[in-house]
Amino acid sequence: MSDERTPSAVPADASGPASPDVGGAAISASEAQATAPAASPAPRSNPRFPVGVDYHPIDAERASAVEWYEADTAADVAAISRTHLSLVRLFVSWPALEPQVGQYDHDAEDRLADLLEAVRARQMKAIVCFFADDRLAEMNDVPWGRKRDLRTDDYLLQREIALVQRIVNRFRTESAVWAWELGNEAFFAGFTREEDLEAWAQAMREAIREVDTARAIVFGAGVETLVRECGVDARGVRDGFEYGVSRVTAPYRAYAAEGPLTYGPATYLDSFVLRAGGTAVPTIADGIGVHALDVSVAEEAAYTRVALYSALMNGAAGAVLRRWRDVETERREPYFRDPYEVLVGLNDTAGQPKPVRTEAARFARTVAHFDLRRYERVPERAAVLVPAERYEPLPSLAGLYDPRSCLQAYIAAKEAHLPVDLVREGEDLDGLMTVIVPSAGTLLAATWSALAAFVRSGGSLVLSYGGGDADPAVRELFGVEFLGDQGVRRTLACRVAQPGLVGDLAAFDAQLDLPHYAALGSSGATVVATDATGSPLLTVHQYGQGRTVFLAAPLERAIAQSDPWAAPDAVRHMLRTIYGAIASAAGAGPVIDCDQPQVEVAVWNGETADVVMALSHAAEDLTATLTADRVVASVTDITGGAVVDVGAKAFGVPLGPNGAAALRIVYR
Amino acid sequence: MTAEEAQNLYRSFVDHDPASAIQVVERVRASGVTQDALFDTLYVPAMAFLGGAWAAGEIDEMAFTQAAVVAEQVGSFVMPSAARRDTGVTLVAGTMHRDHHAIGRTIVVATLKEAGYRVNDLGDDVRPSDFLERIEQTGARIVLVFAEMMATARAVVRVREMLLANGRDDVVVLVGGGPFVADAALARDVGANGVIGGAESALKLVARAARDLAASAEDGS
Amino acid sequence: MTAAASMTIATAEDLARRGVVGAAVAACHEALAIDDRDARVHALIAHLMLEGDFYDEAIAAATRAIETDPDCSPAYLALGLAYDRRGGMWDQSVLVWHELAEVEPDLVTAHVQLGEAFAAAAFEEEALESWQRALELDPTEARATYNLAIASLKREGMALALPLFRKAGELDPSQDELFFALAGAAEDVPPPADPAEVGPTREVRCAAALASLRAEDLFGAADFVRLVLDEDADDAEALALAAYAYLKQQAYNEAMACSLKALSVAPTLPTALYSLGVVYARRPGLDRHAARVFITLARQAGAHALVHVLLAESLLGLQRYEQAGKAYRSAVRLDPACVRARFGLAAAHLTAGRHAEAQWEISRAAYYDTKRQGLFWRLYDAYAAGGERP
Repeated sequence: MSDERTPSAVPADASGPASPDVGGAAISASEAQATAPAASPAPRSNPRFPVGVDYHPIDAERASAVEWYEADTAADVAAISRTHLSLVRLFVSWPALEPQVGQYDHDAEDRLADLLEAVRARQMKAIVCFFADDRLAEMNDVPWGRKRDLRTDDYLLQREIALVQRIVNRFRTESAVWAWELGNEAFFAGFTREEDLEAWAQAMREAIREVDTARAIVFGAGVETLVRECGVDARGVRDGFEYGVSRVTAPYRAYAAEGPLTYGPATYLDSFVLRAGGTAVPTIADGIGVHALDVSVAEEAAYTRVALYSALMNGAAGAVLRRWRDVETERREPYFRDPYEVLVGLNDTAGQPKPVRTEAARFARTVAHFDLRRYERVPERAAVLVPAERYEPLPSLAGLYDPRSCLQAYIAAKEAHLPVDLVREGEDLDGLMTVIVPSAGTLLAATWSALAAFVRSGGSLVLSYGGGDADPAVRELFGVEFLGDQGVRRTLACRVAQPGLVGDLAAFDAQLDLPHYAALGSSGATVVATDATGSPLLTVHQYGQGRTVFLAAPLERAIAQSDPWAAPDAVRHMLRTIYGAIASAAGAGPVIDCDQPQVEVAVWNGETADVVMALSHAAEDLTATLTADRVVASVTDITGGAVVDVGAKAFGVPLGPNGAAALRIVYR
Repeated sequence: MTAEEAQNLYRSFVDHDPASAIQVVERVRASGVTQDALFDTLYVPAMAFLGGAWAAGEIDEMAFTQAAVVAEQVGSFVMPSAARRDTGVTLVAGTMHRDHHAIGRTIVVATLKEAGYRVNDLGDDVRPSDFLERIEQTGARIVLVFAEMMATARAVVRVREMLLANGRDDVVVLVGGGPFVADAALARDVGANGVIGGAESALKLVARAARDLAASAEDGS
Repeated sequence: MTAAASMTIATAEDLARRGVVGAAVAACHEALAIDDRDARVHALIAHLMLEGDFYDEAIAAATRAIETDPDCSPAYLALGLAYDRRGGMWDQSVLVWHELAEVEPDLVTAHVQLGEAFAAAAFEEEALESWQRALELDPTEARATYNLAIASLKREGMALALPLFRKAGELDPSQDELFFALAGAAEDVPPPADPAEVGPTREVRCAAALASLRAEDLFGAADFVRLVLDEDADDAEALALAAYAYLKQQAYNEAMACSLKALSVAPTLPTALYSLGVVYARRPGLDRHAARVFITLARQAGAHALVHVLLAESLLGLQRYEQAGKAYRSAVRLDPACVRARFGLAAAHLTAGRHAEAQWEISRAAYYDTKRQGLFWRLYDAYAAGGERP
C-alpha cells in the first residue's frame, strides 16, 4: 500500500447486520434519503436483473396436493411486491389441473389465472414452471399415471405435451408471464441417460414453441448440480433454451462445501456453481437460501446476502430465492423440536417476515438503482479450467476430486481479487490471459496443444501436478523434467529460492496432507521455490510470449480434501499470491485491488463513472481498502445519498459481517 | 519492603512455620497491597526463592516438599478469589412465551451469575406478566428477554408495553436470540435498549446498563 | 470365492491400507466385476469414499454392503460416519449407531457417535446416556468427556463445563508431547540404560533427563537434573525439567517454585512457561495468571496448536469467550485434527449463540478422532477373520 491517505468512504456504522443499513447500504439510509432527488421516484426493479422468489403452492406438510394455491394468493403476491421482488415462480400441478385423463379442472386453471392477474396488477412477472418435483405438493403424480415414468413413457409424454400446450395456449397473451420453465433438479435427476433427457426436454420445448413462439423458456435445472446428482451432462440441452438456472442443492453443498455458511468455501459456492454452468445462455442464480436446520435466522440472513450479491457480481441474469414461506412441518422426529426455526422461507409459517426477507428487499432495492444498461462488467481474463475427466464415472476419482479442486482454485483466485471465470476443457480460450489448471489428473491431447498455443501467444498458465505420469507436453511447456511421483507427504514446506519473482512468497512449514509430490528436474525453468530439502515446489518458465508456472503438488486438491475451513494460512497465501502475481503480470489482474483477501470485488465500467461492489466473505467486521490505478474523486452509494470526496487512489470501505457495499466511483 | 517480606515468607516456608507465613501476609496486606496483588508481589517471589534454594542444594528434597506443604497452606491467603464479587445488580431473565429455546439463555445467565450478578432466571415460555411480576418483586431494573423464533421475538414488544403500562419505563430491556442479531431494527421495534449477541456481549451490555442506571440514580438524588 | 477374486480383494485391501485411494477403488471395482455380492468389497469402497469425504458415494456403498450382509460391522461404521458428516440425516444416523452398538457392544466409539447423533437431533437425555455408557466401557475416552462438557455448557453454563473440558484435556496425551516438543526432544531417543555411563556434560545430562521424562522415569530424570544443578544452580532449562517432573507427580507447588526460579533466570523459556501455566490453570482464581503465562508462551512457541488451546482454556475461565474463540481458531488452523481445540471452539461458538458452527466443530472433531483411531480396519479385520460369508 502506498502512503496515500485512505479515507473512509462510508460512515463507520454503515454496514453489518447490527445496523439497519446493512448489506447494500454503504452510505447510511438516512443520509441517502436526505439527499435523494425528490422528483424522481425510486426504481422498483431492474429489468436486467430481476429478483424473485419461488412461490410454492403448499406450505404445510399436512396439506394435500389438491390444495394447490388455495391459500390467499393475492395477499401473498401483494406482500412479495412490497418486498420489492419483481419475479415470482409459480408451479403447475399436473394432478391439480388434470385430475382425470383428458379432464381438466377449470377451477384450478382459473386459480392460476387469478394468480397471474394478481402478479400483473403489481407490475411483476412470473415464471410458470411445469413438472417441478416437489415432495410436498406432488405436482407430477397424476393418479391415473399408473406408476409409468413420466420422463420416458410415450403415453405420459403425450399427456404432458397436451397439458403444457393447454396452459401455454390459455396464457400466451398474458403479459405477466415472463417465461415458461421446464422441470427442476429433483425432476431431471430422475434421468439416467442424456438422450432421454434431451428427448423429453426437446419434446416439451417444441410443444411450447408450437403455441408461443415469443416467450423465453427456462431449462429448470442447474447443469453442474445435475452432473453431480445423476451423472447426466445437460449442457447441450440447456444451451438450446433461452435461460438456464444454477442452484446450490443440499446434496451438492454436502459434497462441495459442507461446513459453516457465513465464511469460508460455502460463501463462494453459489457463484462457483453459477459459473460452472457456463455462460452459453443467461443463467438465473436460483434457489438462494439455506438448507440446514440448525442455522439461526441471523446466519440465514447473512448467508443469503452473500449469495444474492455473489449472483450480481458474477454475472447472473437474475436471482430467485428458495421459498416465500416456511414449511409448517409435522412435529416428528427429529424435527419436533426444530432447534432454530429455519424452514428456509422468507417468512415464517404465519407469514410474518424473517430477517432474510429484509435482506432480500434491501438487495432488490439496491439492484433497482443499478442501471445495468449504462455499465459493463469488467470481463474475466483469468479462468480456472475444469478438466473433462470430471465427467468420468467411478472407479475414476476425477469426477469426485476435480470439482472440489476447481472450487478451491476459484476461491484462491477470488482472494487474489482476480476477475475469474471457469472454463471447461475443450472450450475456447479466446479472450483469456491466464488459465489455471488445478490438480488435474489428465488433460486431453488437444488441450495440451491448445494450452501450448495459448501460452505461445502471450497467455499465462498455472498448473499444479495432480498425480500419475506427467504428460510429455509438460517438459517443453513448463521447462521441467518429470522424474516421478514422490508420493504422500504430511507437510508442505516452502523455501523461496527467487524472492520477488512470483509475488511476495514467504518460507513456511505447514501441516497439509499432500497426496502427490512431483520430483522435478529443471529443463529450462527457473526454480522459484523448493521444499525443505531443495526439491522444486514452484517453477516458472518463459514459453513463447507467455509464461508457465508448475506447482509440484496438487495444492488445490490438498486443501479441498483436508479441511477447507482450516487450511493453513500460509498455503492459501501462497496459492493466491501465485495466481495473483501471474495473472497481474499477464494483464488479467484486479482492476481495483483490495487489501482483504476475504473481500470479493466486482467492477463495472461506465462512461462517466464506474460501479464497484465489495462483498465480505468474513463473518466479522473489517475495513477493506480498495485501490484504483488512478485518483478517485468521489464515491457514492449507488442507491443515492451523500457524495464522499476521496482525492486519492485508495479509500476504505467498512463492512460488517458478510456485509456488502455498492459504490459509484468518479475518477479525477 | 515487599521484596524483604517475600524473603521472610520464603523463610517461613523453609522453617515449616505457617503461622509466621500468615503473619507475613497480613503485614503486607496491612501495608496497602491489595488482595489481588498479593500473589504476584509476595507469593511469586517467595516461591522463586524456594525454587532457587532447592536448585542450589540449600534445602534437600524433604525440606523442599515440606516447604511446599506450608506454601499450600498459605496459598488461600494470597490467591485471587475464584468467585467474582457480588455486583449488587439484580437482573431478570427469561425466554419469551411460547418459545422453548433454552441453550442461549442458560449460557448467558450462568455467565452473568458467575460474574456476580443476581440473576432471576424465569426459564423458558415466560409470559410478559411474569417478567413484570418478578421485576416488581425483586426491584430489578434490567431484564433480559430471549427469543429464537420470529413470532416470539416480535412478541417481546408486549414486555415493553406491559412495563410502560405499569409505569416501569425505567427498566432496561435487553434482548437476545438469532432474530435480534439478524435485524437490529427488530430490537428497536420491540422497544429493546440493546441486543445481546452472546455471553460476553451480555457481560458488557449489562455492565454498561448497570453503570448508566447507577449514574442516573446519582443524578436524580 | 475364486482365487482371482481373493487376490483382487487382497490387492484392494493392501492399496486401501496404504492410502493409495485411486488404485484401491479401481481394484475394488475389479473385484466387484468378479463378484458384486461381497460385502467386504462394498465396505472397502465405502471406507475409501468416506476417506475422501464423498458422503453420498460412501452411503451407497455401505448400504449395499449391509444389504449383502447385515452383520458387516465395518459397513455400519462407514455408514454412520457418512450420515453424520453428510448432515441433516440424524434419524438415520441414530439407527445405524444403534445397530453397530448391538453388533459390536464393546465398541466405545459407537456409543460416542450415538450420543452425538442424539445430541444433533436434540435428544439430550439419550445423548448423555450414550456418553456415560462409553465412559463405562473406557473411562479415558476423551471425546465422550468433551461431549459431556458441551452438554454441561448447554444445561448449566461455562463454570461447570470448564472443569470437564480440563478433565478431558488431561486425558489427552498430546499435552505431554507439547512439552517435549517445546524442549526440543527427539522422539526416538531412549532413556539411558545405565545412568553411570551418561557423559559429564550439561547437554548430555539434560538430554538424558528429557529422555527419562519421556519414558516416565521421573526419578531417573531428577537424578540427571540434580547433576546439572549441582554444576550451576541457575540452569533454567534444568529447572524447567525439574518443574515438569514435579508436575507429573502432581506436586504443583514444587513445580511452581522450580518454574518461577527458571523464569527468573530466563523469562521466556517455553518449557518453564508451560509448567507454570499448567500449574496456574489448575488453581481456582489463577486463570488470569495462566492466561498471561500462556500469552507469553504463544509468542515464544506459537507454531504449536496446543499452546493456543491452553491459552484459550484459561481465557474461558476469565469469561473472555471471544478471545478464547480466536485462540482456538489459531489452534485449529495449525492442527485441524486437534479434537481438544475443536470442542473448545464449539464451546466458544455456543457462548455466542452460533449453534450451527458449534455443531460443525463437533462433527469435525468426530471426523478426525475416528480417522486417528483407525477403527475401520479393526472392524474390517475382525469381520474378515470371522469367516467367509454364507
